[in-house]
Amino acid sequence: MNDANKKDAASQPKGLLPFWPHYVLSELIAWYVILGVLVTLSAILPAGLEDKANPLLTPEHVKPEWYFLSVYQFLKVAAVFSFLGAEAPRLLGVLIPGILLALLFFLPFLDRGPKRPARQRPWMLALVVIVLLVVIALTIWGQYS
Amino acid sequence: MQAVRFNPALWFNAGLDWLDERVGIRELVATLLHVVIPRSAHTYYLGGITLFLFGSQAVTGILLSLYYQPTPESAYNSILYIMNELNFGWLIRSVHAWGANLMIIFCILHLLRVVIQGAYKAPREITWMAGMGLLFVTLGFGFTGYLLPWDQRAYWATTVGTEIAAAVPLIGVNIRDFMRGGADVSALTLSRFLGVHMLILPAALIGLLLVHLFIIHQQGLADPHATEEK
Repeated sequence: MNDANKKDAASQPKGLLPFWPHYVLSELIAWYVILGVLVTLSAILPAGLEDKANPLLTPEHVKPEWYFLSVYQFLKVAAVFSFLGAEAPRLLGVLIPGILLALLFFLPFLDRGPKRPARQRPWMLALVVIVLLVVIALTIWGQYS
Repeated sequence: MQAVRFNPALWFNAGLDWLDERVGIRELVATLLHVVIPRSAHTYYLGGITLFLFGSQAVTGILLSLYYQPTPESAYNSILYIMNELNFGWLIRSVHAWGANLMIIFCILHLLRVVIQGAYKAPREITWMAGMGLLFVTLGFGFTGYLLPWDQRAYWATTVGTEIAAAVPLIGVNIRDFMRGGADVSALTLSRFLGVHMLILPAALIGLLLVHLFIIHQQGLADPHATEEK
């Protein structure tokens, strides 16, 4: 850090932080910690490998990766929609998560309120908590069913 | 001037001067780095960590590609070779596998941070949508990469995963067969999953990332305590 930069940092208004080098340094420290986490996890639990793929032998418990489990489980749970017709469970099982993801994609256009602080948007916090709980519950259910 | 000694700082500056005369590198670096962010904008470094994990995935992925053989006959054995015989092969593959999981976790944490702080609101709609695109690309990386070891888990997870697409109305079966390159998961599926994993998704991720970062640079970080944008 040269003198010009030092002067920059000192002359900043109180509420502002220079991106370089202050923020970048903190970010690099965070990266270093994550690198340590990666290597530690890899040493304790190395990536596994099952038997070679056999298209003729279906294993007992076929599951997708954890990040797809909630959608996968919802597709199974969607069987409750069978009173709407024979095709309804499969259709709604895919359409409902798809529509929810599309809504999330367009979130800035749906939530146009100007307030940003979380405490002034309690309904949004409540929605986040509910969605999180449902997704986590579906994931755990999917893991143990 | 006395004796000419090797001085790295001088050489570096001379190199910068050379570039500066031609492409104005000093001004570019100053524009990119000398910006300010609100002290109250707590990012918790989540987006940056996701970016670091992508870098780690790129490096370990390129190293794995040097030894991986993408055919149903030899894919499994090449993974066995990487895990059991190649020096540090087990470490590179394990870091790649853990990095994939952590990258998705940090994507989601980053998304939650932005939602809770209301940082997605106008005028940051494009940053948000590019970010959602990055999340989808990251999930695509996970889905396509999962098949590559060609073990039982990989094969059957891909079979049920692609089967989900078949539930889409009207064109569902066509989507499934397009993803698989036929009615079943086969050598063709492996080829196209590898192509998507190593060519299409990296290009898509870098493109979306440039949009994401460029707009953040132009607009600055959102101040969570400010109610309205000036």
